[in-house]
Amino acid sequence: MTVEQDCVALDQFPVGMRVLAVDDDQTCLRILESLLHRCQYHVTTTNQAQKALELLRENKNKFDLVISDVDMPDMDGFKLLELVGLEMDLPVIMLSAHSDPKYVMKGVTHGACDYLLKPVRIEELKNIWQHVVRSRFDKNRGSNNGDKKDGSGNEGVANSDQNNGRANRKRKDQYNEDEDEERDDNDDPSSQKKPRVVWTVELHKKFVAAVNQLGFEKAMPKKILDLMNVEKLTRENVASHLQKFRLYLKRISGNQQAIMANSDLHFLQMSNGLDGFHHRPIPAGSGQFHGGAAAAAGMRPFPPNGILGRLNTPSGIGGVRSLSSSPSSGMFLQNPTDLGKFHHVSSLPLNHIDGGNILQGLPMPLEFDQLQTNNNKSIIPGNSMAAFPSFPSTQQSSLPNNNSHLVLQGHPQASPSAFPGHQINKRLEHWSNAVSSSSSTLPPPPAQNSNSIMSHQFDDGSSSYSIPFCDSTIPLAPAMDTNPRAFYRTTDLDSNANVQPGGVYYDSLQMRQSGNYGPTTDALLSSNAKEGFIVGQQKLQSGFMGAEAGSLDDIVNSTMKQEQSQGDLSEGDLGYGGFSSLRTCL
Amino acid sequence: MNTVVAQLQRQFQDYLVSLYQQFTELRKLQDEGTPDFVAEVVSLFFDDCSKLINTMSRSLERPENVDFKQVDSGVHQLKGSSSSVGARRVKNVCISFKECCDVQNREGCLRCLQQVDYEYKMLKTKLQDLFNLEQRILQAGGMIPQVNIS
Repeated sequence: MTVEQDCVALDQFPVGMRVLAVDDDQTCLRILESLLHRCQYHVTTTNQAQKALELLRENKNKFDLVISDVDMPDMDGFKLLELVGLEMDLPVIMLSAHSDPKYVMKGVTHGACDYLLKPVRIEELKNIWQHVVRSRFDKNRGSNNGDKKDGSGNEGVANSDQNNGRANRKRKDQYNEDEDEERDDNDDPSSQKKPRVVWTVELHKKFVAAVNQLGFEKAMPKKILDLMNVEKLTRENVASHLQKFRLYLKRISGNQQAIMANSDLHFLQMSNGLDGFHHRPIPAGSGQFHGGAAAAAGMRPFPPNGILGRLNTPSGIGGVRSLSSSPSSGMFLQNPTDLGKFHHVSSLPLNHIDGGNILQGLPMPLEFDQLQTNNNKSIIPGNSMAAFPSFPSTQQSSLPNNNSHLVLQGHPQASPSAFPGHQINKRLEHWSNAVSSSSSTLPPPPAQNSNSIMSHQFDDGSSSYSIPFCDSTIPLAPAMDTNPRAFYRTTDLDSNANVQPGGVYYDSLQMRQSGNYGPTTDALLSSNAKEGFIVGQQKLQSGFMGAEAGSLDDIVNSTMKQEQSQGDLSEGDLGYGGFSSLRTCL
Repeated sequence: MNTVVAQLQRQFQDYLVSLYQQFTELRKLQDEGTPDFVAEVVSLFFDDCSKLINTMSRSLERPENVDFKQVDSGVHQLKGSSSSVGARRVKNVCISFKECCDVQNREGCLRCLQQVDYEYKMLKTKLQDLFNLEQRILQAGGMIPQVNIS
């Protein structure tokens, strides 16, 4: 169904629209999947939010739409919603059995483009494609308002404005440019082909440098744009990017503090060339935001947020905690007119927290070291860049700009500016190892539910931690969830069982509180374990199963798929093949 | 033979009518490509049911230490899946169950739990019979009647 549908879908949107469905309840998931198939969409399912995020990060262009349940043990649906919206900018539809208006409201305020109630009806699903079209259309319009440039066919070039992931648009471009253009024309004759801005590491660094230079409070899109001096970038692009950046910082600032403190230390330890770096001159002038050196230097004033933000992202580890706490902190002041106030050092959240500029110089050394030996052109795990893209999801790990192609706006990807992804990887690995060891000493909060990617990274310590920019590796493989089955429509108890321990483990690392889910997680853990289940099963049904099993068996077995042996009555319910459960449970 | 089939078919229809509308929707999703769709889904549902019931019963076990949040979350999930599958009675019990949970009424919760357990087992039996009927109809050479429940 997959491949054919994709090909077929070229001219038949919404047929073949690619949907990612997330729901921890396998019954509902299965039904949803089937309904979506009926609508002729292409469906991918997973019962874990984390897995869903991985999938999405793995390839921005793989999906057009996400449908997610609200109550999930490993991550709050609303959180997933936010992350997806920020990072990938995909339309997300919420699904829930809660009809309470306040949930619906929450969905809307978190950015859901729709909220469906269970049981889902196929009629409702038949229309969800409108959200995809609408969101693309809006993006089109947005990017074209400010700058009617001729962005024809520039997938490769920085385009658009708000869309880090440019998932929808890009995908369409990829497999059907004509259709896309046509639709644009139909939708809005005045808007040209909308070139999408891809906020690559390089670009983001420039952006950050510009913001730094201007001062957070003073940073205005127009000025930033000027400073960045990047061709084909519009004020609107910058504006929306800035907005996202602000949001991002606001989010992570709300995160843990304890970890941050620890991670800062480690981070400090990690960076070697600190001293050396301090000596590098910061280009005061505005003109020097091109090229690696300038960019790197430009990063200097903005270190903590950059690197730390990135490194610490998932749970606001390190760094940006205070972003939200101190209104004057960070670059994202709503009030840009605060001229004199902004001072790099003091306003940076990290500084706030640490009471000093401890971290200020930190990222720099790291950057420069990386600069030295970069071979990895395509993926630029620039520190600050990293921070930024990962921001939308505090679970960072993969930057929204996951494209390997570094898109430069006519600026040579000078070696200095190219970061050695490899290097960074190593450093970060060390760092994350270090952090994880430190964080593991933190008292596990009661029943954490949200799994941050960071947690995942900690688990792995090394290999799975991939720099956001290295889009070749999706960072987040949760240590526990190595089971590919978990991703696909999981009807397996096993896969759940695999996941659960991981979930619990993550929880302990995660500082976030979501008491509601904790117990559930635990419960699921225990209930998912096959043995637990069987035992429970027998307890409840010992009387039930006995008498009738024999007679029904004969009838049923002859016609039903059998996954379990006949004698395996006690385990009947565990079999997912057709009727085995019914058969044995009667 | 025809009478047998007709009889079976009538029985089938009666059975189906007694089930929830949603269930027939579910049946509509089944087609040649996915002949066991309904069977699979209801199996999943029953599995979920038992798991959730187990969990909730464990939570409700000790009077001094009831985790109502967990029970609530279990009820919620049960409600969602039962409504998706078309298990109306189960879903209805879930509604009262949730109310008991909200006021932290352990006794009430236990009662509801029992009821949920009962209902889902009943449903299981019923569906089993339904499927059996289907098979018999098919084997007798007849066609499965499509029933529209308004």
